Amino acid sequence: MSGPGPGFEYIQELQGRAIPRASDGSRTPGWDQPADLTKDPAEIPDPAVIHVAPALRDEIEAAMARYPDRRSAALPALKAAQRFHGWCSPQAILEAACVMRVTPGYLTAVATFYDMFELEPKGRHSVYVCTNISCSLRGADALYEEIAAAAGEDGEINVRHFECLGACDIAPMVSVDNVYYGPLGKGDAKRLVEDLRAGREPLPELRLALRRTAASELPAEHEQ
Amino acid sequence: MTQALLFKDIDEPNLADIAVYERRGGYEQLRKVLSMSQDAVLSELDASGLRGRGGAGFPAGRKASFLPKGDMDKYLVCNADESEPGTFKDRELMQKCPHALIEGIVIAARAGGINRAFIYIRGEYEEQAQILDRAIAQAYDAGYLGERILGSDVSVSLVLHRGAGAYICGEETGLLDSLEGKRGNPRLKPPFPAIEGLYGGPTLINNVETLMTMPQILRMGGNKYAELGVSGSSGTKIVSVSGHVQRPGNYEIELGIPSREIIYGLAGGPPPGRSVKLWFPGGSSAPVLTAEDLDVPYDFDSLAKAGSMLGSGAIIVVDDSTPVLDVALKTARFYRHESCGKCTPCREGTNWTVKMLERIEAGEATPMDLDIMASVQEQIIGNCLCVLGDAMAMPIGSMIAKFRGEFEKHMQRAQLTGASA
Amino acid sequence: MPRPQPSEITFSIDGREVKAPEDMMLADAAKLGDIEIPVFCYEPKLGPPVGACRMCLVEIEGMPKLQTACSTAVKDGMVVHTRSERARVAQEAVVEFLLINHPLDCPVCDKGGECPLQDITFGWGGGKSRFIEPKRHFRKPLELSPLIAIDRERCILCYRCVRYSQEIPEDYQLVLLERGAESFVGTFDGHPYVAPFSGNIVELCPVGALTSRPYRFRARPWEIEDAGSICTLCPAQCNTRLTVRDERVLRVLDRNHPEVDDGWLCDKGRFAYQAMHVDERITSPMIRDGGVLREVGWDRALAEAVGALRRGGSATAALAGGGATNEEGLLLGRLLREVLGSSHLDSRDGEAVSLPHWRALANPKLAARVSDLEFAHAVLVLDCEPLDDMPILDLRLRKGARRNGVKLLIATERASALDSRADAAIRFAPGRGAELAWALAAALRGEPVDAAAQAAGIATDDLHALADALRDAGREIVILYGERVLDGDPGALLALADALGLAEQDGGGLLGVPAVANGRGLREAGVTPNAGPGLGLPALAGGHGAREIARRLASGELTALYLLQVDPVLHYSDAELWERALARATTVVAHASFLTPGLREHATVIFPAETSPEKEGTITHPDGRVQRLRVAAAHAGDVRAEWRVLAEIIERLGGAPTPPTARALSEALFEDVPFYGGLTLDGLAGRGLRWPELQVSNTLSDAYEEAEPKLRKPLRAAKGKLLVGTYRSIWAAPEVAASPALAFLTPRQRVELAAADAEALELRHDEAVVISDGEREVRARVVLRAAAPAGTAFLERELEEDGANVLRGPHVTIRTVASVEAEAAALIAAEEARAAAETETLAQAEAEQVT
Ligand SMILES: Cc1cc2nc3c(=O)[nH]c(=O)nc-3n(C[C@H](O)[C@H](O)[C@H](O)COP(=O)(O)O)c2cc1C
Ligand code: SF4
Ligand code: FES
Repeated sequence: MSGPGPGFEYIQELQGRAIPRASDGSRTPGWDQPADLTKDPAEIPDPAVIHVAPALRDEIEAAMARYPDRRSAALPALKAAQRFHGWCSPQAILEAACVMRVTPGYLTAVATFYDMFELEPKGRHSVYVCTNISCSLRGADALYEEIAAAAGEDGEINVRHFECLGACDIAPMVSVDNVYYGPLGKGDAKRLVEDLRAGREPLPELRLALRRTAASELPAEHEQ
Repeated sequence: MTQALLFKDIDEPNLADIAVYERRGGYEQLRKVLSMSQDAVLSELDASGLRGRGGAGFPAGRKASFLPKGDMDKYLVCNADESEPGTFKDRELMQKCPHALIEGIVIAARAGGINRAFIYIRGEYEEQAQILDRAIAQAYDAGYLGERILGSDVSVSLVLHRGAGAYICGEETGLLDSLEGKRGNPRLKPPFPAIEGLYGGPTLINNVETLMTMPQILRMGGNKYAELGVSGSSGTKIVSVSGHVQRPGNYEIELGIPSREIIYGLAGGPPPGRSVKLWFPGGSSAPVLTAEDLDVPYDFDSLAKAGSMLGSGAIIVVDDSTPVLDVALKTARFYRHESCGKCTPCREGTNWTVKMLERIEAGEATPMDLDIMASVQEQIIGNCLCVLGDAMAMPIGSMIAKFRGEFEKHMQRAQLTGASA
Repeated sequence: MPRPQPSEITFSIDGREVKAPEDMMLADAAKLGDIEIPVFCYEPKLGPPVGACRMCLVEIEGMPKLQTACSTAVKDGMVVHTRSERARVAQEAVVEFLLINHPLDCPVCDKGGECPLQDITFGWGGGKSRFIEPKRHFRKPLELSPLIAIDRERCILCYRCVRYSQEIPEDYQLVLLERGAESFVGTFDGHPYVAPFSGNIVELCPVGALTSRPYRFRARPWEIEDAGSICTLCPAQCNTRLTVRDERVLRVLDRNHPEVDDGWLCDKGRFAYQAMHVDERITSPMIRDGGVLREVGWDRALAEAVGALRRGGSATAALAGGGATNEEGLLLGRLLREVLGSSHLDSRDGEAVSLPHWRALANPKLAARVSDLEFAHAVLVLDCEPLDDMPILDLRLRKGARRNGVKLLIATERASALDSRADAAIRFAPGRGAELAWALAAALRGEPVDAAAQAAGIATDDLHALADALRDAGREIVILYGERVLDGDPGALLALADALGLAEQDGGGLLGVPAVANGRGLREAGVTPNAGPGLGLPALAGGHGAREIARRLASGELTALYLLQVDPVLHYSDAELWERALARATTVVAHASFLTPGLREHATVIFPAETSPEKEGTITHPDGRVQRLRVAAAHAGDVRAEWRVLAEIIERLGGAPTPPTARALSEALFEDVPFYGGLTLDGLAGRGLRWPELQVSNTLSDAYEEAEPKLRKPLRAAKGKLLVGTYRSIWAAPEVAASPALAFLTPRQRVELAAADAEALELRHDEAVVISDGEREVRARVVLRAAAPAGTAFLERELEEDGANVLRGPHVTIRTVASVEAEAAALIAAEEARAAAETETLAQAEAEQVT
């Protein structure tokens, strides 16, 4: 086959060096990934070969049945697969693709587009900290640091920056395993982590669902 | 100062339960439209002057009338993606009064001759989604949804669809792609969704608040509703006030009241000793206004005249303790993160803008960079596939225009101290 | 689906009045006025515009915002400005945006000199950059597949490649990952993008992000020449553009012919050019000497062949295949019939098809065009797998179904790649395409179907569903059939065409997929046992078809065989019979490029064959389009024009002289084949002409009388056994194995099983097994497929090793290699034990005797 052409060595040399990245030093996983030529092409997985747990299969099939076009079930299917496997692992995607009769590539394209899919193994609990404008005006950036520090490195708790979670009225706030809490004050970060580790509902009194509308809490002079 | 239509019973315990909702007069308007002709429903909506509450402010009745007549699958999609920074009204509405949304959906479906409805709710709103799941099941059981609603010849199915974290899925065509199970990339318009939308069929897309207002319009009558608010901006609006105010939260106001009354009167204004430096009147996509604009009436046309927009009705207040650069960076980073990447000016423009702002922050920029940045915003505006690019370029552009001095001062200071991010 | 007939409108662009078809996209319509609007993402071949890159922004009077010309349909009276101040500012802005992340490494980029990004930057860019931030950097170049390299730094995210993957082959393997500025082109979990049509993305990419690994750094655009050619690796006969440098072909590109290939190529056609220049290629004549083949000079080889053929005389048979041209076919016919006095010549596997059948099938009224596949009401894919047999049609069928709602109906023995696109798909028993056609014809005519359905091995319900679908689809129906369907009763297909009234429809008809590239042309040039050139009565009657030729060679009745680009041991069924036939023959003269198994063992004389870029002549597309091959590259080694070799042999054997030039020979062909009358090489030009559309096409009468169906006995299940079905993969070709870049795709035998069958036989996925028909064996790996019809094992034909051609069927047994080996070991052990016992008894007896 084609050997390395001229210029190849120069490029190889570049590859050895630390090359400057995006200004914040970030890299997107996959950017530098070549294809693994020992793998087969990723076609639609054949149900005769891929095993899918019946419960997962049922859930995905039920989702497919809800829509006029089965592809609409991509998000529910990925969510189910993520729940079953802990994250959107290649195996999870393969299984969802097998049930949906789409390629795993199709689902990967979808999964990587949305923020709520985890494409790396992640902790048991998800803590989303909103650090968008309204929350950060009220101390969200510091809150994120506190929670991240309290959660430590053991990977049990997956602390993530998140864009506006639609709860600026309780800024700074967090979404813990999909339940909203706020506003968090001094000491709440530590307490949140302790509660989670102890298997308790975290910060129960800060739960958003308990709040009345701000309008109803207005001082008397504003009532109609 | 407040005017409660949507919020009238909002804190009623268990309003999310169908029995409580019905006891409060819920679903009466649904019954009413079943016996009205499609045109009659449309004309009530038209008469109300209701403009979309999702951001673009398009007249709701007109939009519903664009759907072609005829015997085909037509779709209604309720936009419950609510991802515009600063906006949290739909969340509160759905959480507390989900049945009003269902009722509104059936009314809108009736107006558009629609038989299949979807609610696209952002994935992060799992609590609200569960409340809706329950409410939808109750509504089906009660015969308010499904085949031949309450024995009439109107049939509407409703499916709740959860997103998975992407702001662009609030843009109506990105939402459609996402609902079809794809990456949420916006589509080229035309064709407009009313002609060719979900699964290629005619599709009406409305915001949660827009739909929830419909039962109120039918209850009051379109003309009566139109008497609320001001000309061009009829009715009430839920505004979400956040940031540097003492009482952040949702307030229902009659459109056209002075903005100051909302920011200071309802939300309590900035903390003591602080003053308003700038504010976004309609979510982070709106060009910023300053303290000088506080007396602008809060309605679609007045805000547009003031150089900004009402958008989603989310007021974010920033007081004088916060550098404008911080706000600009937060804003730009948000749009870079959320740009879908499909079209060039938005994908590259948001990225470039962030990089320039980071350089300003790091003290590595000169005033010429401000000119470049301003020109980049101009290169974005109007040239993108959808308006997400504009949604960054407009506020950033307005910040450069209104706070140029502060940016320059920051540059000088950062250069002198060699400060870095 | 009637084809659109747009009306003409007038619009104004940059001050010029231009006429264009209404609703043509502005980006295309501008070209009619000689104005170029820059585009990146727009590529009409990929379907509706997406308006993503924003490069094509122009100003249209009356519209407040700039519009994308790629997605704006022209209307009468539209006034467009492509170079107004506003448009220019926006265009410069987009170029600036695109370049901020582009590495500008043009000096080391393969695309340099033929790069749209370079051209558009020069033509529409502002000529300056204000971007001083660090650029993105990636490791590069990376492998995307063994054939394609990806350089993500250069990618401008135009989405052409990923749209291609989703919209054209619909393989959804190449996708866009991540979001926004972090988006990149990739695949699932690092799998390579390997697919039959993957190479098209290299041509689509408007920058140097996707490059061909075999071509990388082989040439610069100013060092190369472009030559139009035609690929002859399969019957699709796609039009190609060859990149030639120093008389060598370095690259194959498409040469968009809307009636042939629609602007795409398969990877075989795109990359197998490498086989022209490999050492394994036969480039000089060879003779068998003392049992081994050795290279000799032309004179020696010709003398050898002429002597042997003279001895063979009327006991000579001939077969033609591969990319043999019409002219070569004509000369082969003359050699056999006029010089040697034999009419035993054929160009297809199996039993001979009668002359009336051939004539009826060639009836111009029944002839469908390739583009009909895209606009018909329905297409019935009958007994062929387009992806393997005529790959480019797979894309055309998908296009028709996707864009025009063409109803796609599939009737095949094996699961088809098109099933997921199909409105209905049914399976019949292996080899029973003719019975299926009879059954379908009966169902459509409302006649009893039971006997035929049983013989075809399909349920009557399925049959009726298919018939109903056909009936309801509309009038214009195309039957795309594999010529295997003629193997049973060729009348079946004609009956089906009649039942559907295809002769009365303009947009429908028959389109046959022959097994070899020029199958149709060879037949029409007279390479068929019972017809001469032009499907006329042959000069000599009593010719035998391929299968009978094999029998008679094996029995010694025939003694010599002339093979024009075909090796029956590899290409034809019943390889074992052909083995015996070739072994018995005293003379086997072959034109070949590679030493395939039959030739390696049995050829007595081999002449090097030409590849299509070296060849002159004409070939005929399955839809009747006569296309012209021109010389594009020098002959490799000692290769000579094959027609000259044939002419020389004819002359040495005392035959009538052959016209002295290729052009004159083509003219002779046009004269000999009545319905090619009026064709000229110049008339064929670069696009060819369809003879069924010519005036002379009525030289073929359409009188045909239907006979009673000849149905074979139903195939019955046998306990512990499976029926065997065979197919030929797109990659089963010596050119694939010989091309270094493609070699990785060379198929290995695999046996496809339904999960239930595998379970019953206790076989696992990927297990090594031995398949046996009782006498002959083939080794394979098990592949489980949910879509595999139960009761049948599918194996690949035409493989150099373990090809299924040796199996005779209809039933086979499958056992694991492990169990076969264990059995053999047990046998040996038993034998040894017996021997040992014997020795012992002997020893004892001896001992007893001693005592
Ligand atoms: C980037 C972007 C994000 C948007 N997000 C939302 C959203 O979260 N919710 C919403 O209702 N409308 C959103 N919109 C507006 C919608 O596109 C659309 O105009 C609206 O849903 C129509 O409903 P309405 O007419 O009832 O306002 C967004 C628009 C853009 C361009
Ligand atoms: S690799 Fe090429 S074709 Fe694919 S998106 Fe990038 S620039 Fe476009
Ligand atoms: S060519 Fe028109 S937007 Fe890309």
